[in-house]
Amino acid sequence: MTEDPRCTCYADHAWQGTVAIEQNVRIARDTFRLRFACPEIARRIVPGQFLMLRLAGTNDPLLGRPLALYDVICDSDGQPALLDVVYLVVGKMTRRLAALPPPTPLDVWGPLGNGFPPTETSHLVMVAGGIGQTPFLTLAQEYLGLKTFGDPPRRVPRAEAVTLCYGGRNRGYLAGVEDFRTCGVQVRLSTDDGSQGHHGLVTDLIGPVVEESPAACRIVCCGPEAMMETTAKIAHRLGLPCQVSLETPMACGIGICFSCVAKIRDASGQWDYRRTCVEGPVFAADDVEF
Amino acid sequence: MNPAAVKQSSVSLEVQLGRLRLANPITVASGTFGYAREMAGLVDMARLGGILPKTITQNPRAGNPPPRTIETTGGMLNSIGLDNDGVEAFLKRQMPYLAGLGPAVIVSIAGESREEFTRLAARLDGVAGVRALELNVSCPNVSGGVDFGTDPAMCEKVVAGVRDACSLPVVAKLTPNVTDVTSIARAAEAGGADALSLINTCLGMAIDWRRGRAILGNVLGGLSGPAIKPIALRAVYQVAQAVRVPLMGVGGIATIDDAMEFFVAGATAVQIGTANFYNPTVSIGILDALPAALAELGAACVADVVGTIGGKGP
Ligand SMILES: Cc1cc2nc3c(=O)[nH]c(=O)nc-3n(C[C@H](O)[C@H](O)[C@H](O)COP(=O)(O)OP(=O)(O)OC[C@H]3O[C@@H](n4cnc5c(N)ncnc54)[C@H](O)[C@@H]3O)c2cc1C
Ligand SMILES: Cc1cc2nc3c(=O)[nH]c(=O)nc-3n(C[C@H](O)[C@H](O)[C@H](O)COP(=O)(O)O)c2cc1C
Ligand code: FES
Repeated sequence: MTEDPRCTCYADHAWQGTVAIEQNVRIARDTFRLRFACPEIARRIVPGQFLMLRLAGTNDPLLGRPLALYDVICDSDGQPALLDVVYLVVGKMTRRLAALPPPTPLDVWGPLGNGFPPTETSHLVMVAGGIGQTPFLTLAQEYLGLKTFGDPPRRVPRAEAVTLCYGGRNRGYLAGVEDFRTCGVQVRLSTDDGSQGHHGLVTDLIGPVVEESPAACRIVCCGPEAMMETTAKIAHRLGLPCQVSLETPMACGIGICFSCVAKIRDASGQWDYRRTCVEGPVFAADDVEF
Repeated sequence: MNPAAVKQSSVSLEVQLGRLRLANPITVASGTFGYAREMAGLVDMARLGGILPKTITQNPRAGNPPPRTIETTGGMLNSIGLDNDGVEAFLKRQMPYLAGLGPAVIVSIAGESREEFTRLAARLDGVAGVRALELNVSCPNVSGGVDFGTDPAMCEKVVAGVRDACSLPVVAKLTPNVTDVTSIARAAEAGGADALSLINTCLGMAIDWRRGRAILGNVLGGLSGPAIKPIALRAVYQVAQAVRVPLMGVGGIATIDDAMEFFVAGATAVQIGTANFYNPTVSIGILDALPAALAELGAACVADVVGTIGGKGP
């Protein structure tokens, strides 16, 4: 079969169907955790992949919205059964979603995208801004040896330490911090207004974490573009491997509309618009032209 | 026709578009199904009547800067800008896969000049698996080029040039962004088009009033989705009265009812576009529902319902 060599993650193992909301609870300011049963996706999804979610039975909003995997919950037999996503209310779809009780139906398709590479890492440093912490809970679980993901389960060498540097507007917006702590993640926080943790940018936290670390660090990052750009520069300066998960707007999530493009450099350093849904959302930070 | 007399299983789905024969009238629109490979895991593509891959051009085009799409009420605006790797990359990387799928592959081409259309047609002539060409003379997102879709004389010349340059069936895809779509349709017919597809997107825009800026990177974009279905139906209806060549209806089709409305208005086949984005398996769902819908009208084949619109009002 001949195919575009750049595209590695088509929706070949995706499932499309209708699910019912099981839980939809507020966990921080404007932030909700949504849970639904979907063993087809729960079985296959890996950290850093995402789903498309759509309100069923309406054309307004029309398109699905991409949301990262937050957690996979197993049934009493230990089989992956339920999916959690965590979303921030920002616009048309998330505003309506926040008001929906169980068992409202939702259209969903996934798992989509490439996910984080399971490369051997001594100290995983996860840098998150805004709602960018969502793809990191499962990644931490994986690197701390608490859970496996994928079908067949992918092997991830255990990390010595996992740190989350997480920044938000103020303490009210910091969502799911306890979920990370429970897993054994070392959490360092920052807020724009100083209401919790470091008063300033989350990227200020990276240097000290790396300096204090006895083990070699790898950085993963998700959040507003300016913050990912700064993180990429810091990682580059420190000579550390770094991947960013881009949150470009998406209309289909499966590679057929070409709306989700970002400037990605090839080996020769030239950039081209690439689809983040099928070639990302995770890219090597050095390849992204911010 | 006696509805009771027609059993679903005896309904024939084959349709003829000039020299192009399709196993069924359900196809997927250019630019809304990628190069089909993307959909392999979700859609049983072999069952489709036809596949129109994303429009290709002679040379690679980077496309427009993001944001390239924005949702609007019941639809979306796009300004992708014909982002593609050019005809040679298409033939090397995409066409071998498309050729093996089964459905008729109708390759959509766009040129910046009449000569470029002709050269593309000549290049694609005889390539294994290419069953027909669709001429995208209607993309609203390509600045600088002459608009072949709004000038009847130019449109006729482009179609005639392509007809001369290759032996493939030719479909001309028309824009609704004209005062009189029938005059362009007649010109395409005079140029020798086997069929016409209607419509491409409707020119529109979206504004962020707080920031005083257009939302799309390219300012203007093409509106698609359920919001434009009435415009597409109108165009198909008007053109069906004006030309003899068969039509492909496209614009906002998302359900079997939508598809049937297009057949009744005068379309021989339909293309499903934006609906693929928010319901990836929509095309197969419509195909599954088609025999029963045709049987409900007592039709033995698709042609029995094409252009049957008669009365008006309730
Ligand atoms: C791979 C990926 C993973 C993601 N994971 C998560 C996640 O885990 N959790 C999460 O909360 N989000 C996530 N996102 C972002 C999420 O997809 C968006 O927040 C969501 O689509 C918002 O949908 P909405 O309908 O509520 O907002 P929309 O109404 O679509 O608005 C989205 C944004 O655009 C702006 N906007 C909308 N309309 C206009 C307009 N007319 N003019 C100007 N600006 C406008 C809004 O202010 C808002 O910031 C992810 C995105 C990607 C690509
Ligand atoms: C994101 C997007 C990209 C498109 N790209 C193309 C294209 O490359 N060539 C083309 O002929 N039409 C293109 N179209 C137009 C569609 O093929 C179709 O004519 C139009 O969207 C109306 O149908 P719909 O409402 O079902 O989407 C595109 C439409 C969208 C939404
Ligand atoms: S969101 Fe449609 S191609 Fe990526």
